[in-house]
Amino acid sequence: MTETFHEFVVHRTPALSRTAYLLTGDHQLAEDLLQSALARTYRHWRRIRDGDPEAYVRRAMYHQQVSWWRRRRLTERLEAQPTDRPGDDHSEATALRLSLVHALRGLTPRQRAVIVLRFYEDLTEAQAAAVLGCSVGTVKRHGHDAIRRLRATALDLVDPTVERSQQ
Amino acid sequence: MTARLRETLHAAAADVPAYPVYERALATARRSRRRAVLATVAALVLVALTGAVLPLTRTPAVDPAAGADAALPDRIALPPLGALHATDRPRLGPASVIFSGQAARLQGWDEDGIVGVVSADSDRYRTFSMGYEAPVGEQVILSPDGRYVARPAGLSEDGRVDIIDLVTGRTRQLHSKVADSVGTTPRAWSPDGRQLVVDDTVPTDPMRSSYRRVLSIVTLDGERWTQLADGGQQPIFGAPVAFAPQGARVAYQIGRVVTVADPDGRTVSSFELPAESWLAGKGAWATDGTLTLISRKAGTTDWSLRRVDPGTGRDTAPLPLPGVTGVTTIRLLGWGPDGSALVVAYQPEPLSPDRFDQPLELDQRTAYPNVRSVRVLALTPDATAPRTLMTAPEQILAVDVADSVISAGRTRAANPPGGVGGRFWFWTILITVVTAGIVVYRSRSRLALWLDDRRVRRAR
Repeated sequence: MTETFHEFVVHRTPALSRTAYLLTGDHQLAEDLLQSALARTYRHWRRIRDGDPEAYVRRAMYHQQVSWWRRRRLTERLEAQPTDRPGDDHSEATALRLSLVHALRGLTPRQRAVIVLRFYEDLTEAQAAAVLGCSVGTVKRHGHDAIRRLRATALDLVDPTVERSQQ
Repeated sequence: MTARLRETLHAAAADVPAYPVYERALATARRSRRRAVLATVAALVLVALTGAVLPLTRTPAVDPAAGADAALPDRIALPPLGALHATDRPRLGPASVIFSGQAARLQGWDEDGIVGVVSADSDRYRTFSMGYEAPVGEQVILSPDGRYVARPAGLSEDGRVDIIDLVTGRTRQLHSKVADSVGTTPRAWSPDGRQLVVDDTVPTDPMRSSYRRVLSIVTLDGERWTQLADGGQQPIFGAPVAFAPQGARVAYQIGRVVTVADPDGRTVSSFELPAESWLAGKGAWATDGTLTLISRKAGTTDWSLRRVDPGTGRDTAPLPLPGVTGVTTIRLLGWGPDGSALVVAYQPEPLSPDRFDQPLELDQRTAYPNVRSVRVLALTPDATAPRTLMTAPEQILAVDVADSVISAGRTRAANPPGGVGGRFWFWTILITVVTAGIVVYRSRSRLALWLDDRRVRRAR
């Protein structure tokens, strides 16, 4: 039986929320991004519901995140402090997470998208290029630049071997 | 090698709650759909308005003296598909010839009665629509200097003549002062271009079962409206009308009677026409003060001109001009500097049921279904045959020529435009630009990625 849009959202929102957060580094912006991607998905639901709607949403999020259109809006909002959520603690894990969020904010949207695709979604460079609609070389370039940037801003996040291998 | 980064990313993601975005996503989708519909409607309205208004406004005017080198083209052609309108910019300036007919390009989408306009000194073509069949030279007439076109107001019933200024692109409305008029048709321009003879149709009862006709001479500002004749409906009423060269007399035909009046509407003389003769046309007055008639030789389609005394209608000295044969009729446009008479010759439509070598009223001889094509001929004194000055393709069935062109006696080798006209290109370019804009907008994300990709490739 074909899944309804509501069922799809209920089932897939947790995973999609995580990706959105990593892409933006901010809960408010992540909500905004996911909302926009789902709205776009809803408009084309009849066409894509029998395929892989989740892949469509993810592609929509990546594209919106890196497009000039959205990037301008994000730049204006990145100045805000990350939203504190109830239940936040100040353990070592949280400190590391905040460090990651801070470091991700130092990347361009495309660099951040490549990092999420490669190291969170575990996609190959070719798969990441397909999702972003660019060449493998571009993915490599952004990945290289992103790692170099992370190395400079959050050394504890990057394994030293990565640094050497990237060089 | 990237284990620590992977672990940190997954750890950071694990704390992220599921965002409650379902309702808002639906609202956003519906809002953007509404906006898309509104934007599409707005774009279409903008395109329509731009197409309708832009060609009509805000472009420079032409020099009214541009018609100084006016000449009669040796041939005319159908206007190009999508030709600019007569009032579009750049302005056409004075015209040499206007024409109408039943060719497909003169019919438009809905038998619109399109009139073609040819520039005075070049092969630039323009058009305007009448809304119905209105033969030029009879209902749509070109001013003596070629600057104005007078025409009935179309299908409206408010008794009005529209005067299109081809130099400024403005259209002046001349409202009839004849009470209850349901249609006003211009019949002739005065030589100075300041007065018109117009013909009003007035219903005689509320059910409109019959009409009367009122012939008037009016100034272009509509202030002076002088009645020339008032009578019942008949095939020939106030047509043709001919002004004397100085404008001191005007001759018009009603039924079989020609009346000569002064500009104040006072009848100077009148006479009954001989059989198979009619007032010759707008050029009927000769410089010597006599009137010219057209006559058909009984039992033939041979036509000739004859001169009569405007007071008595009696023949004066014979005209040494060649006759015209094989036509439904001829219409006298005027006189060239060498004494030639310039006439429009109507070639018969072979499929017409009417016989043109037998008695037939003049309005039927120029009716579209009875004509196949027209030519402008010069009947030169002492010549043995007419000389063709201008030809037109079949189904151009009526022409009018500016008096200034006739009196100048100049002709030129024409090279009418082919292909498509300015309005076609305007719409094509506009639609292409709008479509390209929509495509770029809709693929903006992909475009941004492609540009970024290119930039990175160059950087390497």
